[in-house]
Amino acid sequence: MRESEPSVVSLQHKAYRNTGLGHYLRNAASNKLLYLMILPGFIYFVIFKYFPMGGLIISFQDYQPYLGIRDSPWVGFKHFVRLFTEPTFAMLLSNTLILFALELVIFFPIPIILALMMNEVRHRLFRNSIQTIVYIPHFMSWVIIVSITYVFLSVDGGVVNEIIAALGGSKISFLTSPEWLRPMYILQIIWKEAGWSTIIYLAAITVVDTQLYEAAEMDGASRLRKMWHVTLPAIRPVIITLLILKIGNTLELGFEHMYLLLNSLNREVGEIFDTYIFTAGLKNGQLSFSTTVGLFKGLVGLVLVMFANRLAKKLGEDGVY
Amino acid sequence: MRYRTAKLLALTLSGALLLSACAGGSGDSGTNADGKTTISWLNIMHTASPPTDTVLNKIEEITDVDIQFSWIPDASKEERLNTSLASGSLADIVSLTILENSSVRNALKAGVFWEVGPYLDEFPNLKGISQDMRNSASIEGKLYGIPMQKQVARNGVILRKDWLDHVGLPVPKTTAELMEVAKAFTEQDPDGNGTNDTTGFIDRSDLVFGAFKTLGSYFGTPSGWAISEDGKVTPEFESEGYIQAMDYMKELYTNGYINQDFAVTAKKDQQEGFAQGKAGIYVGALFDSKGLFNLAQGVQDDMELVMVNDITSTGNENDRAIWSTSNGVGGLLAFPKSEVKDEAELKRILKFMDDLMSEEVFTLMTYGIKDVHYSLDENNGATIINTKLWEQEVQPFSSSRPNENGYAIVDADPLRIESTRLIEENTTFAVLNPVYSLESPTFSEQGSELQKIITDATYKYILGKMDRVGFQNAIDTWRKSGGDKIITEYEAAHRAVLNNK
Repeated sequence: MRESEPSVVSLQHKAYRNTGLGHYLRNAASNKLLYLMILPGFIYFVIFKYFPMGGLIISFQDYQPYLGIRDSPWVGFKHFVRLFTEPTFAMLLSNTLILFALELVIFFPIPIILALMMNEVRHRLFRNSIQTIVYIPHFMSWVIIVSITYVFLSVDGGVVNEIIAALGGSKISFLTSPEWLRPMYILQIIWKEAGWSTIIYLAAITVVDTQLYEAAEMDGASRLRKMWHVTLPAIRPVIITLLILKIGNTLELGFEHMYLLLNSLNREVGEIFDTYIFTAGLKNGQLSFSTTVGLFKGLVGLVLVMFANRLAKKLGEDGVY
Repeated sequence: MRYRTAKLLALTLSGALLLSACAGGSGDSGTNADGKTTISWLNIMHTASPPTDTVLNKIEEITDVDIQFSWIPDASKEERLNTSLASGSLADIVSLTILENSSVRNALKAGVFWEVGPYLDEFPNLKGISQDMRNSASIEGKLYGIPMQKQVARNGVILRKDWLDHVGLPVPKTTAELMEVAKAFTEQDPDGNGTNDTTGFIDRSDLVFGAFKTLGSYFGTPSGWAISEDGKVTPEFESEGYIQAMDYMKELYTNGYINQDFAVTAKKDQQEGFAQGKAGIYVGALFDSKGLFNLAQGVQDDMELVMVNDITSTGNENDRAIWSTSNGVGGLLAFPKSEVKDEAELKRILKFMDDLMSEEVFTLMTYGIKDVHYSLDENNGATIINTKLWEQEVQPFSSSRPNENGYAIVDADPLRIESTRLIEENTTFAVLNPVYSLESPTFSEQGSELQKIITDATYKYILGKMDRVGFQNAIDTWRKSGGDKIITEYEAAHRAVLNNK
């Protein structure tokens, strides 16, 4: 397709080559409606995403709200120096990255597998009810999920520990041991989000050309083979796109979730950028410092997305930009 | 056609903008439709829900003011106060209960709030605020609000008297005896239900208002900081008492004499656990006894409580000590200059504060309306007659009282009388925080971050996941990350105060 059109494109380019801006304006004028449709989204991004970025400037200040940006003293890289020299920095970075890696390796494939499995279920009523059931946890807030976990896992009368004790084992303090925090965190995410995340995959699967399946059947492919050679390659672009988006959200591990799980005893493995920004910035009022932490977090995310996008392109996929 | 659509869109958008602009305009203090002064108040809520209107209407009637409350739940006070300060969305009165928080302190020092020191003596009730209280609540010698006067030291130990009788032990006077009681409560089936389902202590994830700090006092730990004769400042966790208290807690934990998940237990769960008879020793504010007793009604009807405030580790009466809750200053009721525009308005609000301290309003905020919430006997003793109603309509106001001490009407409830007496007695043995009114910029800025290092290490030590060496390392980290600087700053501030005298 792309190969057949360059003549038109290059013609246009030639016509407006010397007037870059004019070209765009004229183009815009002839597609007014299209641009009008973009407008709300454009305004949204300018107001809520780009405009607030100006606030990053306070990471170079000792910002005091009542002095405002104009009168707050400038301190250069003071907050960056503090961030990189504090012992907490290494902890924050490694905790964030480890949790992110776990989420990517363990959580990410689960919705795909789940979607493939649901796609194979032929009984419609059964399939719909399964779908509904696995969606439900998505609509519960983290507070509820963490509270339920707490009730189940508590050492003082929690069901799980009662069972362990009844079976002759010794009780495990799930809630206060650092080694249980990560498994608990990932399992909770799987429980809450796995079902919901299948939606996009299921949608992608429904548009796979049925002729492909028929052809595969003719060749004597088994169900598993069809899944592997037809369904999976067909939804590959979707998987890659979601993967890049996921990486973009790397450091958005979900503040609320982790904040609820944190306590004095598992902080060494649980404190992540989001929770640290909250305690330092909002609780202790160090607005400039927490902005610095946020800025750093954003930069790491940006680098990761660019890396993932390039990787996707190398693998012959489209990428997100 | 297209042009018209665009115009319509533009109109709608600007309309929306206009609307939102209007919404931002209200909230100023002024007078309402009936000519009453409207005063808005950003207040802290310690109960589950805000009070209903009954008592509020009465207070408004007496003070001739229309009060507009915005309630902040106590659990989220730090972030809410900070965001309010940062965004400038304040009220005429702001309850600042976290004076040690860096942004609150900075705001006070930056002059966001009126300095009220010079005005206090113009008002009869405000005049009664003692010089000591004024000094304690001042920052760099200036008083930026009405200090909330609390009891100086309110903590102690609450025990199940019926369980003590059941296991045949006396009320403990030493920490060793207390350990014995905890052991007996855990192992000797004090509730006599035939199953081994009780523990001695029930505690919550709070090293300050939970058991730990009070136990620390019994071992002679200073309150927050210690200043020696020659002006050396040391933090409490470098004292011998602190280590002993950790060891004590560790013994409780290892032997199962305390709820095993205390490090993640919320206050509500702790109190409910106690009320349900899961444990028999509660360490906290002595006036909690009444609340625990109420909670237990219908669940543990046999519950009898005894309060103790004279436990020591040595058994020697002279060693009695109990840490003081912010030296009796519960915070400041402060008035931002952005809302309270001029002196006349400030005086109007101070008048309102003065009215709040009157016997009449204090009674309303404490006991409620006579014969609706409480009855009065011939000795000015108040008895709550409708606990449910009192909890809904009156209790939420208790944290709004500028003063809690020295009123004629007293609670006639035996538990209340006893806790009031013991808390009063505590004053004599109270250990004050010596650096409370000293300035340390590093502490203001990083103090709470640094404290986390120590808090985490303390928990780990108690749970046996860290030894003395590990704890010492944590202290070293604390010192290196800013602790040393804090100490130097406090020492300098202390010297400055001495030189001024």
